[in-house]
Amino acid sequence: MQSRYMVRYAVPVTSQSMSPTPQQVLDVLAKIQDPDLGRDVVSLGMIKELDVSPQGKVSFTFELTTPACPVRDRFKTQAQDLVGDIPGVSGVEVRMTANVRPAFMRPKPSEILPGVKQTIAVASGKGGVGKSTVAVNIAAALRKAGADVGLLDADIYGPSVPAMTGSHTVPEQVNGQLKPIDAHGLKVMSFGHIYPGDQPTIYRGPMVGKAIEAMMMQVDWGRLDYLVIDLPPGTGDASLTLAQAVPLTGVAIVCTPQDVATDIAVKALQMFRKLNVTPLGLIENMSWYVCPSCGHRHEIFSHGGAEAAAQRLGVPFLGAVPLEESIREDADKGVPVVISRPESAGAKAFVEIASQVAARTSIQSFRQLPVINVR
Amino acid sequence: MVIEWEGGHRSSYSGDRLRWACPCAECRGEAGAPGRLARLKSLDQAELRVQNVVLVGQYALQIAFDSGHSTGLYTFTMLRAMCDCPECEARRSAP
Repeated sequence: MQSRYMVRYAVPVTSQSMSPTPQQVLDVLAKIQDPDLGRDVVSLGMIKELDVSPQGKVSFTFELTTPACPVRDRFKTQAQDLVGDIPGVSGVEVRMTANVRPAFMRPKPSEILPGVKQTIAVASGKGGVGKSTVAVNIAAALRKAGADVGLLDADIYGPSVPAMTGSHTVPEQVNGQLKPIDAHGLKVMSFGHIYPGDQPTIYRGPMVGKAIEAMMMQVDWGRLDYLVIDLPPGTGDASLTLAQAVPLTGVAIVCTPQDVATDIAVKALQMFRKLNVTPLGLIENMSWYVCPSCGHRHEIFSHGGAEAAAQRLGVPFLGAVPLEESIREDADKGVPVVISRPESAGAKAFVEIASQVAARTSIQSFRQLPVINVR
Repeated sequence: MVIEWEGGHRSSYSGDRLRWACPCAECRGEAGAPGRLARLKSLDQAELRVQNVVLVGQYALQIAFDSGHSTGLYTFTMLRAMCDCPECEARRSAP
């Protein structure tokens, strides 16, 4: 009888004494460094709901700061390997989730966009470099990754977001607030929705500022992880109003590779620096063209100009997007290329850029703005 | 007004100092013409009391005084440079 008892219970008792403590698990996970935030994932509070069963099964939630995290898969493998190597661990279950944190550890939400966690501006300085195309595709890529995303077209004179997202409805008004248009899962608002058709907006500068403020304050944006703002070209009223009205998380600057474009992009970047808006980085659009008949790669507008400028200015280079007929065709049809042709080189470039933008944005969540007290 | 900076440093400013430092065009003057502060020797108490402070984007503070004057945007760069604590004064006077 005695020996049977021993045999029946010997195995679980031994494994219980060998299963690691939660602290041991956290200690090994603390070896994983977040490359963008420069700290380990445990002290960043990314490990949640940690459970170690008496049988040595370890399960936890790995909460990223963005669903578009560029190192998501690497983190998961690293976590599985590190925890799996602890003696006594019989199995590892890692649940990957994401929770976008609000920018700047604010004590209370911003009054002007209360439900919005991160505001990302897309600017260029020069016109015609594909700013709207980039903004639409970054927004769509973040949405595809699982985030709640809004897209605000701040170009009052030349709104192109309605056409590029295929949204031509006039926004509804509910309780004095405009409802954004739903397009491809994005919440979209543009002056082109409010004044559709071919009638121009003939406004002086101060009116532009008012119009942009209205699109932020009088639109029911609801809860958003990211609000992507497509800025008009230039370093004047629109950009200034935006930088003054909301604490922008950061600004991504789009340019084409030739000197004429990069020089102006640099001016835009320096403007935002003066306004203390963090440059998230430079994006090179129309970087190369692969000829469909000869298969040869042409660099029509030169190549590498944005990367060189980024290096010179000490800001990140976020990526290059090829000049592709499909990007233009789908934009004209109202579908962002990341949705219509996810396998194309252009779509892949946009997805990569969006995750770089998201990673740079996350860094801002850990910044504490100055605290001001008046007595 | 007290500001605690991102790096932990604290700076404090009197309403008096802030009012005389107002960077707005009316106070500083523009296009070569001297501003109001250059012409005045003294200001009323209501001009010197801070009534409200509003954050402008993330680069400046708009400070309103009891007199209603509120056109000055004080950039953080300017405010940081204005800090007159002994530590900052010593750093500035160091060669």
